[in-house]
Amino acid sequence: MNQAIHTQPVRPSELRLAPGRCFAALGELFWLTLRQHTHGRRLLVLVLLFALACGLAILLRSLSRPAPAEILEFTLVFGLIPHALAPLTALLYAAGMIQDEVEGQTLTYLLLRPLPKWTVYLTKWLATILICGCLIGLFTLALYLAIYWDTRELWREIMPGRALKTGAALALAQLGYCSLFGSLGLLIRHSLIAGVAYIVLLEGVIANIEFVGRALTVVYYFRVLILRWLDLPDLLQRQWLRAWQLDPAKMPDALTCVETVAIASLALTIFSALWFSRSEFAVKTPESSS
Amino acid sequence: MTPVVEFDGVSKWYGNVIGLNKLTLRIPAGVTGLLGPNGAGKSTLLQLATGQLRPSQGTVRVLGQSVWSNPGLNRHVGLCPEQDAFYEWMTGWDFVQTCARLSGMSRGEATAATEKALHLVGMIENMHRAIRGYSKGMRQRTKLAQALVHEPQVLFLDEPFTGTDPVARRDLMDVIRNLGDAGRSALVSSHVLHELQALTPNIVLLHRGRLVAEGRVQQIRELIDTHPHRIVIVCDNYRVLAATLVAHADVEAIHFLTRDSAILVETRQPDAFYARLPRLALENGTAIREVYSEDDNLEAVFKYLVSE
Repeated sequence: MNQAIHTQPVRPSELRLAPGRCFAALGELFWLTLRQHTHGRRLLVLVLLFALACGLAILLRSLSRPAPAEILEFTLVFGLIPHALAPLTALLYAAGMIQDEVEGQTLTYLLLRPLPKWTVYLTKWLATILICGCLIGLFTLALYLAIYWDTRELWREIMPGRALKTGAALALAQLGYCSLFGSLGLLIRHSLIAGVAYIVLLEGVIANIEFVGRALTVVYYFRVLILRWLDLPDLLQRQWLRAWQLDPAKMPDALTCVETVAIASLALTIFSALWFSRSEFAVKTPESSS
Repeated sequence: MTPVVEFDGVSKWYGNVIGLNKLTLRIPAGVTGLLGPNGAGKSTLLQLATGQLRPSQGTVRVLGQSVWSNPGLNRHVGLCPEQDAFYEWMTGWDFVQTCARLSGMSRGEATAATEKALHLVGMIENMHRAIRGYSKGMRQRTKLAQALVHEPQVLFLDEPFTGTDPVARRDLMDVIRNLGDAGRSALVSSHVLHELQALTPNIVLLHRGRLVAEGRVQQIRELIDTHPHRIVIVCDNYRVLAATLVAHADVEAIHFLTRDSAILVETRQPDAFYARLPRLALENGTAIREVYSEDDNLEAVFKYLVSE
């Protein structure tokens, strides 16, 4: 029976996947990644953390002497989210987008498809950004609702103006964090530990010190964007500038911030995609051999 | 004829551990068995052949094309990996259809191909159950379905029978045989000789990353038969039995395993030896408690072949 078997070598034209089919396959990978991200315990943990923040805001606003909305906004929206929840969300999702597949040994099913490896990485990265951006956006709006629910400005100023602009700045921050932690997950085995260390040391400590190194942090650009985009009352703006140790004369303009974060993110992602395409992912190595 | 899979001087090192060692091999069309004990390099060979690993040295070609960094070749190649890994939250149908869509099929094509593949492996009844509830046999069938769903020319199956019950094993063997009959090529790895023997007469033997032998099973068996078979007989008066056995010309040596009340017999004619043994035991009044061949252990066969 073997004599009848086709053994002609494959022609180069038979190797190419038509562009339409390639996009369909990448679309399926995008959808698969979204489903993966919404199936783990991660989403539950993050929802719980954000719910706690919202619950705290509602509680403090419901007291007989309610906490001032501006202070809660500064602490929770511009402190807790960009310093802790946003990078943590990005770390959990982006560092795991390839590492989880490697540890779960399911990466094989993706690499055995007629898709260039770099497109696999980029597609998973895009899906991860979408998930992280949507989560942070929704939770930011929810937190604004929880802080300003009993004020008249909520639907006139806060939600259509400040909340949307803050959401956009946080989405940009997620772009930076996802690119950074995506690379970390690819390059470092214990990326969660390294990621937490990065969040604490660079985004938490160095971003608050006035020296050139803070320009390497995502939080710095986020803060500058907030100060540039939001029409804050003068008093509030001065307070925030002092708290963040920023000098308006030395701050970059909004466009420069967006460009810097976007270009750095893209450069890092392109590097990671190329690194991924050149990497081997051995499922198991021989236990012993000579 | 162009070989389906070609390894030309291929070595693969994991740090200072050798996975494959200067392997040159041409695998023709049809079903071929890849035999070797654990750690022989079978999985490394299959991962190299499917482009998951880059050779440290040499070249690997499948269907005439270089494998590394050539994703287009995956349109013509399918792999059933050894690892028992899935997206556990998916159903079998969902998983196989996702793999079909990832291969570039339209939704309609993927639906039809998924149904066909699951039907082929006998998973239609359970295809809408979550994979996390599948038995080992169902999981192996589902893995095979994902490897088949895009109808590849060449299939690489890494230990596809591991952990399966006899029914699943028989069914999977039927599927692979039928694929061979239908003109597909398959390279099936196993560490169990009789599993591969039941599938195909063409065998490649690997041991410690080296090619030990290749050819038809009969040739390999003959090669093995040039070495004496070692048979252990456990009985009470083993010294009396040994005295009787030693008179026969085909018995080359007898070793006493005093601690186990047994003897180890070396013979070049195992069939004749086994045929004669019951009569001799009866004549001597020897109650044989156990007879087994050390050669059932594949490791022993490889030791013969590599003259260890």
